[in-house]
Amino acid sequence: MTTFYLTVIHRPEMVPEYLQKGAEAGKAEDIARSEVIRESLDIFRTQQRAAHENGIRTTIQMTYASLFNDEAVSLARDHHSKYGDEIGSTFLGLQCRQFREKFASRELAIWLFSMEDKRRIVDEVFGKFEEVFGFLPTSTGSYYMDAELVNYVKERYPAVKAAVATCWEEGPKAYHNANNSWYTLLDGGPWNPWIPSRRNIHCPASDESDDIGIVAIPHLSRDLMAVFDGPGSYYGTHPQNILRGMVYEDREIPYFMNIVDQYRSMAKYNRGYAYNMMFVGPGWMSRSGRWEADYDFLLKSYQDGMSYYGQLKKEGQAVDLTMSEFADAYRQDRPYTRPECTLWKDILYGSKRQQFWFADPWMRFCLDMNQGGAMIDLRPYAAKLIRPCGVGTQHIQDASYPFIVQSLYRAGYFTHYAGEGAVKSCKLGHSGEEVDLCACRTLASFSEEGDTRVVTLDPVEIGFEEFTIEVQSIFRLTEGTGEIEIVRTIVRTTDPDADVAVDEYITACYGTTEYPEDLTGVRLMLKGRLGSESIDYAYECREAAVDEIESAEVLVPQVDTKLSMRSDAKDAVGYFREGVAFSPMYTIGIKKTFRGTGELRTWLRVEKAS
Amino acid sequence: MAQGRKGKLNYRCPRCLMREIDMDMLYDGAAGEYYCLRCSFVGPESQVLRLNAQFRAKYLDRTRRITDF
Repeated sequence: MTTFYLTVIHRPEMVPEYLQKGAEAGKAEDIARSEVIRESLDIFRTQQRAAHENGIRTTIQMTYASLFNDEAVSLARDHHSKYGDEIGSTFLGLQCRQFREKFASRELAIWLFSMEDKRRIVDEVFGKFEEVFGFLPTSTGSYYMDAELVNYVKERYPAVKAAVATCWEEGPKAYHNANNSWYTLLDGGPWNPWIPSRRNIHCPASDESDDIGIVAIPHLSRDLMAVFDGPGSYYGTHPQNILRGMVYEDREIPYFMNIVDQYRSMAKYNRGYAYNMMFVGPGWMSRSGRWEADYDFLLKSYQDGMSYYGQLKKEGQAVDLTMSEFADAYRQDRPYTRPECTLWKDILYGSKRQQFWFADPWMRFCLDMNQGGAMIDLRPYAAKLIRPCGVGTQHIQDASYPFIVQSLYRAGYFTHYAGEGAVKSCKLGHSGEEVDLCACRTLASFSEEGDTRVVTLDPVEIGFEEFTIEVQSIFRLTEGTGEIEIVRTIVRTTDPDADVAVDEYITACYGTTEYPEDLTGVRLMLKGRLGSESIDYAYECREAAVDEIESAEVLVPQVDTKLSMRSDAKDAVGYFREGVAFSPMYTIGIKKTFRGTGELRTWLRVEKAS
Repeated sequence: MAQGRKGKLNYRCPRCLMREIDMDMLYDGAAGEYYCLRCSFVGPESQVLRLNAQFRAKYLDRTRRITDF
């Protein structure tokens, strides 16, 4: 039995971002410009019609500005009673004359205000909502809501049960894509709904005491491969985003349905559960066209998308829920420790590339089968970093959850000229020859053994000068352990007498952007049966190795994280390697030499350091 | 030279687009050409459309309906 849940959200945004900009060309700013408000409401009405004609119920997220517009309020009431749409609230679309008078600010992002202002705005928005509708909303949202903001909302308005809380991987890439002018620096969260931690919104809660009290929904269901390496606003279940990315030909967009279907397929990896959401602001459907598309094409793309959702619903393959209904359904079958998994495949560039994504309360990571299963992203959720954003905080706009490994921001396997990049992989060596599995493309399959999710990679062939071997990688993820078990097996060799060293390693750093951070104070440690080694990072290019290793560890105090590797092999060697300023990385690894065939089994553990 | 104005359909600079930067261009009506404030691209609409088609070509699966997951 599988269930594919769908939530469609519309918001009557009186002064939509793009629409306002277009209407303003050659004119001074006027946020009360009547033609903008009129057009925006028309678009909202059109979006609602497209949903209802296809039998889809929506969540109407009232913006603060729309609460002052009788027509918008009346439309929401009418659609609630006629179609069963939910009336919720959003912190998007704050700007209007009343907001400017009350808060004297042009700030548009709720997460970027000071905490004091966030509290005042929450009370004002919810108070106005109650005044208009006579009840309080049970769902809310923005592009981002930090844990501090959601904690406040829950404290004051406990009935809230769902929120649009992040945009998946909308970080430095989105910023660059918008000519360095779009401040949604929000990388590092889950791609599908989750119950957030009270300490950090990106992290799934560990248990009831850590549960923030809402179900978080990411803004849009995004292409997990294309968005990891491209603009978030090109590739997702937002038809006009796809037009922005120009993924179409002759006004047809099969890519939208391909994304939806790949999300449907996630039921295979998640105990029968799958999810999809669409949330398009009216500014994307302006009469004057946008993203090289005229209005007719903008409209067609939206209607086509909604029509596909409607078709799935009619066929009994989708269940449309409002945000609050979805939150209830989600909580009914969601133990805190259950991971979200996905073996995503390329649906855009014509390759067979696969990436495996995993998120649970301990970590989020991504394995790239194009690089032999190398880990190209690792976020230490176990640290549950308290990291508020907005004015008056340490990070202000940088709301991303830090990575330990991010191979696109920090090079990964391929570096220019010198140094190392952040990646977790394995090297096979023989007599001075060395091959990294990053250079061995492969494919993977997914299976389950009780509470262990298993990612099994097809064996790859490695050619040394005088013989060849086949190596298979298996990743075993046992629920609730915070560990990844990694099995590297030499399954075949053409020379049974040849020695091969299997070197399991992780080269890492920390950060939220492409730019290096100071590693001073990171501690590298080796603990063996016969001795131990330890250094504090100082860019001095030091190395150490310990025989009969029990554990190779690194403490990264800057992100309150401890990473450790252990093996069940008695005669393995553990090592660490400090970097230099031109290669600001650290490496820990475990190595063992086999004659002929053999297997090295290691565990990577992610913990909170303090 | 004439004032640059918003052209039709908010054409983005195709050269900036190639490096995934969305940069709206201005249109010089007198010269009949679009130009970019960032990268110095200049060209008529036909040139923009040609380069946009080139941009799309990287999506080998853009016309393919994929149902096998």
